Amino acid sequence: MVGSSPHKNPGRYRHAEAILGKDLVDRLADTKVLLVGAGGIGCELLKNIVLTGFGHITLLDLDTIDLSNLNRQFLFKKKDVKQSKALVAAATAGPFNPNAHIYPIHGNIKEPQFDIEWFKGFDIVLNALDNLDARRHVNKMCMAAGVPLIESGTAGYLGQVQPLVKDRTECFDCVAKPTPKSFPVCTIRSTPSQPIHCIVWAKSYLLPQLFGEDEDGSELDEAEKHGENAQEIATLRKEALAYKAVRKALRSPATSADAARMAFQKVFNTDILNLLSMSDMWRTRPKPTPLDFDLIQNGAFSFLTQPAAAGSSASFTGSHALANGVADLSVDDSSSIAGTSAAAGSTGADGSTSAPANGGGGLKDQRRLSLQDNLAMFIGSADRLAARLRAGEDTIGFDKDDDDTLDFVTASANLRAFAYGIGRKTRWEVKEMAGNIIPAIATTNAIVAGVIVLQALHVLRRAWKDLRNVHLQFKPAVPLSTIRMCAPNPRCGVCRDMYVCVRVDPARVTLRELVEGILGDGERESQSSEDGDGGKGGTGPRDVSVYEDKRVLADPDWEDNMDRTLESLGAGRGKFVTIVDEEEQVGTVAVGLAALPPNHPQDAPALILPSPLPVPPKFIKLPPVTPASPEKTPAQALAGTSLKRRAPTDDDGIIAIDDEGSGPPDAKRVKVGGGPNGHGHAHVHTHGRSAGNGNRKARAAGAPEAGQESPSKRRRLEEDGLVLLEGAGGRMVDDVIEIE
Amino acid sequence: MVDTESQDIETATTTLQSAPDAKTRRYDRQLRLWAATGQAALELSRILVLSSDATSTSILKNLVLPGIGHFTILDDARVSPADAGNNFFLEGPRSIGKSRAEEAVRLLLEMNDGVQGVADTRSFDSIMDTDKDWFSSFTLIISHNLHPTRLDKLSNLLSSNSSAPPLIIVRSSAFLAEFFIQFHEHTIIESHSETAPSLRIDKPFPALLQHALSLDYEKMDSTEHGHTPYVYILVKAMEGWKKSHGGNPPKTTDERKEFKKGILALQRNIDEENFEEAEAQAYRCWAETKVPSEIAQLFNDPALEPAAHAQSRQPFFHLLAALKRFTEEVEPHTLPLTSTLPDMKADTTSYIHLQRLYKARAEEEKAIFQTFLDKNVDIDEDVIDLFLKNAHGLQVLRGRRWGEFERDTDAFSGALASYPKETCIHLALSALANLTVKQPGVAPTAEALRGEVLAIVGQGTELPDALDEAIGELERAPAAELPNTAALLGGLVAQEAIKMITKQYVPIKGYAVIDLIDTTTATLG
Repeated sequence: MVGSSPHKNPGRYRHAEAILGKDLVDRLADTKVLLVGAGGIGCELLKNIVLTGFGHITLLDLDTIDLSNLNRQFLFKKKDVKQSKALVAAATAGPFNPNAHIYPIHGNIKEPQFDIEWFKGFDIVLNALDNLDARRHVNKMCMAAGVPLIESGTAGYLGQVQPLVKDRTECFDCVAKPTPKSFPVCTIRSTPSQPIHCIVWAKSYLLPQLFGEDEDGSELDEAEKHGENAQEIATLRKEALAYKAVRKALRSPATSADAARMAFQKVFNTDILNLLSMSDMWRTRPKPTPLDFDLIQNGAFSFLTQPAAAGSSASFTGSHALANGVADLSVDDSSSIAGTSAAAGSTGADGSTSAPANGGGGLKDQRRLSLQDNLAMFIGSADRLAARLRAGEDTIGFDKDDDDTLDFVTASANLRAFAYGIGRKTRWEVKEMAGNIIPAIATTNAIVAGVIVLQALHVLRRAWKDLRNVHLQFKPAVPLSTIRMCAPNPRCGVCRDMYVCVRVDPARVTLRELVEGILGDGERESQSSEDGDGGKGGTGPRDVSVYEDKRVLADPDWEDNMDRTLESLGAGRGKFVTIVDEEEQVGTVAVGLAALPPNHPQDAPALILPSPLPVPPKFIKLPPVTPASPEKTPAQALAGTSLKRRAPTDDDGIIAIDDEGSGPPDAKRVKVGGGPNGHGHAHVHTHGRSAGNGNRKARAAGAPEAGQESPSKRRRLEEDGLVLLEGAGGRMVDDVIEIE
Repeated sequence: MVDTESQDIETATTTLQSAPDAKTRRYDRQLRLWAATGQAALELSRILVLSSDATSTSILKNLVLPGIGHFTILDDARVSPADAGNNFFLEGPRSIGKSRAEEAVRLLLEMNDGVQGVADTRSFDSIMDTDKDWFSSFTLIISHNLHPTRLDKLSNLLSSNSSAPPLIIVRSSAFLAEFFIQFHEHTIIESHSETAPSLRIDKPFPALLQHALSLDYEKMDSTEHGHTPYVYILVKAMEGWKKSHGGNPPKTTDERKEFKKGILALQRNIDEENFEEAEAQAYRCWAETKVPSEIAQLFNDPALEPAAHAQSRQPFFHLLAALKRFTEEVEPHTLPLTSTLPDMKADTTSYIHLQRLYKARAEEEKAIFQTFLDKNVDIDEDVIDLFLKNAHGLQVLRGRRWGEFERDTDAFSGALASYPKETCIHLALSALANLTVKQPGVAPTAEALRGEVLAIVGQGTELPDALDEAIGELERAPAAELPNTAALLGGLVAQEAIKMITKQYVPIKGYAVIDLIDTTTATLG
């Protein structure tokens, strides 16, 4: 109850009340916060908000605890390894404040039950995530639900905190994020030239090919469409068939003893011989050398003794003229160059200091492996993985902390590197490259988590002017750099859409019912129940295209799907159906699909539309502007429009706030489905291309290139993206933290 | 070809998994930052922390997690209700009335069983009176809101002995905080400098020059031609240029353009990225390789003077002295070559060959370097290698004493003009500390705080408005410690402590002032 102290222990908050004021401290007890992630930042953050006095904390994480977490994730102990992070963190932190209620969830934030309605139940969301995909998802859900979000990330000594509030600040997607590094399929599959190509191949191609789900070959169809070498693709198709036999052998107890050899023969011998038969491919490239299982195993393999397969050997680069497994092939292993001929099975040279962070020389998995070592590791790990399949595991995917998969990827990548005359990597290096490993330490997490709470307190005080983007940087003179907030990017395809929430049973509602329901009849709504002949509101019928994410579900010339149920179209709970005006004159409406309320009568309509229906802002047709100043256009247009009152901007470029009184935080949220006077800025129409809808249309145009969107391997390679520490002492590029 | 016995698969696979041990796995993510050398330094360290309040335990948490060897908490306080509410390393109300140090040590140790922790409940004053040397038995001392009289005694003690450990002084109140590292001398080999050592393309060593000149593009097949490393291309092109330009490198913008054009003209087709790389890297031909000015400055360091030489000198300065001689006596008067090559377009053979050339030359120069080392000093080969590899980023820092800044009137008034807000926060925290001596137990008023500030800077000094804000913040909640502020400060201070212990990365110099209302930081002095 308002007025009564929610605290059982007055002494506990003495410090907090002195600093924050009693008002805010009391409000904290009723605050509902969602904390996404219970890892490095998450543990720190949970401790901080529990002690600060946040009353209701929902903590979500899909991960389990690994030994390598314990150097910073201090809510976990050795005995907790393999347990749910969310559950253990909640159990550890809970007792520190009996007034805090922690609701842990061991799950994925992208699951459908975490829909808009669910997000709306929070006053604030705190991100403590480690990947771009989940960050973008939470950002979109928060923009849709109108819940403030504090975003964060760390990488080694670097860190960042960014408050994101719809219509007041940028959202996470207002600034394009660097796309993860990707490689052409043929480079990975046929013509690798760097160690990373071999690692990507082993991790994202070979491992799934042998131990993952069955493939449908769609990736090659896509590659063909993209105009990659047709002959090469035909060869790759042949390859795919042969994989079936190996997969079978790995899974059958009768043949499993020999399955590793079979896999080896296929991948490092037959496939390479096939590729060699395409002489065109090797005209300007060094040819690979097929490997021989038995010769390597008994130490008799030599690159010299191998027939040069098809074609002339004129382009042989000589790098192959080396004996079995001599470490000379290792590009960066300078320490062993001085004629180590004691090759196979030797202890190998100690890891050189080529690893980015000084290598940590002398660590056990940093030694170089010979050809024979790699073969042994290949057999061992393939056998262990096959045994796991036979013991009941359905599929095995790469996990940097799963030693079997890491060994398999290390060995396979190195064997391939041998065959192609490319430098090899130690297990330590492979782990970093394949596992997107970002250095992580307790100190950086502590700083970042502390800043997150400071920003969260500003949000809860509705002190929008105090919000800051904060970067923790390398410069010893200014550890924290603070930047004022930026206004939303008027072209943002995420936060500039108008979001509404529809509660629906997707199995019982068609796309037409949804779309027509949202568009309404354009008549003024009835103001009261007596005023029976009022209209439904909305914009009224108009030509629209309908999307689910990037998939086109319908457009004015293609209505085949309109009478199918949402469920049959894959547009269920937690998804967004986006309605884009065909004439680009009306803003885009993103309809978030949520479940019907639990007490919804069985015979009532299976669709609850928002009330009032959304009337997105209209675009203004502008005379073409000079291309010299395209960036100014939106602001000029906004200033000149009477359709929409632009929120006033103060001199710092911060959008001023109109505080709407002192009701509970819920009442002050951006109203969904607001009419022309609601929040959201007008979009601008320039050069015949909509500024606001530019993104969407671009996506629509890209839609036929379904290869980008379908869950094919090509996509997977891109998603795996691979964070690279390029070269010795190279700078890190990653998809985890964006430091502009 | 060595005839190795074929291993039986079972042994091979069990011995070759090369899975790291539990410790390496635990510290995996941080080893990628400071490597085994940094970890070893942490594990050998002994840290003393004065107080076990929320900020102190937050600092310690971030040192226990990465695995320091030992810590001692010196604190004779008992747990109060306020402590129980804001300190994560107490067991809430159950700890009230117990020894704060003992409770904190017990709970901190739960995080890492590789760390040793001791609670010392003696009084600071008794140790200062009877067992002063005890303080010098630690690697690093950290104090938080230590009583000003005691702080003065401690900082005097540690600054009077050049082998005494560094002291990190932390002060905080409400949303304002600062910390300062008092130390004598801090040398850094692994500064993790962002610049790469020179490849000496402008001053190629004989074997490199000879090999580059021996290359005949005409006779190369397309594979070789498209995979010739840019280092050779540039060295060869440069030699040709010098011949036709009186021995001079391209000087004017036009000449440089012409030089680049000449490189691109060598390209047989546009797929040959190595020539594009060479064009992009052409600046290396005219950016003269010299001893970097920061390193040249170190050669004037007093520790290198002959007088200092005779005394017991740190290995670092023996190495630095040898480095100085090397650059003076060995052509071409640069830092010794390192064998670290960047990635470049090349095939394996040519890259390895190039690497061998660099490696061989680096070994030769290392051998010369070693002849300059004092024969009576035994320095580990690994340390020499590390030193040479990082020679372009060496750092020698000399610290100041706590309080010296205020006594330097000119510097101080300069700071007041350039960083009014931060300087006022520093002054307000000093004033608050002074008042705890003058009026113990009395809540400070704005007036009293202002009076103390004037006593520090001198009556009549004009003070910026920022002072009123800082004083207002302190008056509001002079002794309050918010758990979140403690956590943030704990992260910042521990970060610097780790840099000091590992002697890696460059620590913050001067007073780091933190304003958590604006979330800003700056350094003074």
